[in-house]
Amino acid sequence: MKITFKSSLTILITIFSIFLVFLLNDEGEIPILFNLLTFAGIYGLAAIGLNVHFGLTGLLNFGHAAFMGLGAYVTVLLIPHAAGREGVVITTGLPFFLALLIGIISAALFGLLLGLPAIRLRGDYLAIVTIAAAEIFRLLVRDLESVTGGVYGIINFSNSLQQYRSGFIDNFASANDLNPSQIWIAFLSWTSIILVLLLLRRLTNSPWGRALRAVREDEDAVRALGKNAVWLKLQSFMLGAGIAGLSGVFLAFNYGTIQVSTFVPILTFYVWAIMILGGVGSLTGPIFGSIIFWVIISETNGIAQLIFENANGQQIAGVRFVLVGLLIMLLMIFRPSGLMGKKEELLLDVK
Amino acid sequence: MSNKYLKVTNLKKSFGGLKAVDVQSLNLNTNELTSIIGPNGAGKTTFFDLISGFQDSDEGKVYLNDKNITRSQPYSIARLGMIRTFQLTKVFDRMTVLENMMFSASTVNNDSFIRSLIRLPSQKTTEKNIKEKSFEIMKDLNIDHMANSYARELSGGQKKLLELGRSIINDPDILLLDEPLAGVNPKLAEEILQIILNLSEKGISILMVEHNIEAVMKISQRVIVLAEGMVIADDTPENVRSDEKVIEAYLGSENE
Repeated sequence: MKITFKSSLTILITIFSIFLVFLLNDEGEIPILFNLLTFAGIYGLAAIGLNVHFGLTGLLNFGHAAFMGLGAYVTVLLIPHAAGREGVVITTGLPFFLALLIGIISAALFGLLLGLPAIRLRGDYLAIVTIAAAEIFRLLVRDLESVTGGVYGIINFSNSLQQYRSGFIDNFASANDLNPSQIWIAFLSWTSIILVLLLLRRLTNSPWGRALRAVREDEDAVRALGKNAVWLKLQSFMLGAGIAGLSGVFLAFNYGTIQVSTFVPILTFYVWAIMILGGVGSLTGPIFGSIIFWVIISETNGIAQLIFENANGQQIAGVRFVLVGLLIMLLMIFRPSGLMGKKEELLLDVK
Repeated sequence: MSNKYLKVTNLKKSFGGLKAVDVQSLNLNTNELTSIIGPNGAGKTTFFDLISGFQDSDEGKVYLNDKNITRSQPYSIARLGMIRTFQLTKVFDRMTVLENMMFSASTVNNDSFIRSLIRLPSQKTTEKNIKEKSFEIMKDLNIDHMANSYARELSGGQKKLLELGRSIINDPDILLLDEPLAGVNPKLAEEILQIILNLSEKGISILMVEHNIEAVMKISQRVIVLAEGMVIADDTPENVRSDEKVIEAYLGSENE
């Protein structure tokens, strides 16, 4: 990332939003900050995956929650866990990292499965298919109670990952009065972000990345020049879905339980908001977008208190929607390409 | 490049009740510069779409070098050595001119995900080669000074040149040009015509749809006239110009 006016401004806004956490809270700032940074890491990772779809390839995916959910469910079901109303404990399972790998691959294959019939469709049709597929996924998971635990969800799986927790995480957590399990998830998700970004930087600067951008620009021209546009789009769809699967796993482990109600459409739209805020097509954008977004989400309470004396829950929820709406409106007016997006790369049409 | 040819038999396509294309038989011979002319709506672009795989025909067969390509995907037809351009230029707007060229020059193997991930030294060599090749073509077309500009910054004519450059970088056997002169100023049109002639002399068979009759008559060895989807004349430029059916259907109404 070059130090430009744009990136300096973005970093400044991000630092300011973190500063806001200290400004609006009288006590417990550090736990609040680390809680929101955990979510920012997980959602940021999901937004990076979405950016592969939309920013790099122009694919309109509104079913991101399902890719996240599939990765999470497959991984958790493969390790020791307790599922369903009875909480039947299953003590045998694969080692965590093998299960994680299978979870990510499953999410990618779900992308392939969905993409095979749908990816030839243009723009908005793909969007409709992905929304529908995500809802089908959610309803299937809800109703297949014998496997997925249905509405009762899955619990008691955290240890498979937490057993690998490093000593320095425990030391850091106890020194700052933090929950070590959560800090471990935060650490892992931010590490994953760095690794995924390095991977993507390598890929976007490669002939493969160039081909993806060509597909985003004009599919017909790509086909006319002897390149298989459908296969390129499928590869991109699988890559982004795999990244989403990874973020879904972290989301499940951060909650410590896995619930159907986690992977609902609003999750998809939060991830969209983060990607747009950070800058469509910018690799690092989702990181900043995610931090700023989560400061707003978690600090609505404090902001509402500034507006209303003794704000009640309803008022706070209202303020949250107003703030997010306002943020997106201001962004669309003043920086339609997002904080880190290039104006020249502003996406006007989609595939 | 000895026996590269295109053969079309009984090719039909209708939209609803409207017959768009109904070509009984058409052979494109090696090294020929052939033009297709005809009034608007004669089915010229649809004909291009059918033979390049962008639309499926209702009936009929298309052969490229004895290979049946009737239901083939556009990309596989392109890989067989027949490349088309579009009436409305399709450059990759938000990529640089150089990237446009390099994308086209790159092979499927070079573009592969795994190779791009591992970055074998062989990929670097390939990239270097296709970059050199791209600059060579860009120099020939006089757009090399724009190499690092976004393609959308080019003028309409320059975009036509870029599209042409992209199409010839892999040395196709057959080039299908859909109105290469449309919307181009007269001076640049002359240049493009010269480029097309040079390509033809290099041994590339060219099939061109064009409305600029003077240009067509000047450079073509053979002119095919389409009207209502059917071939009404297929001859040398001189003979076509004096053909009564053609004058009635097309040339007569031309005010140029």
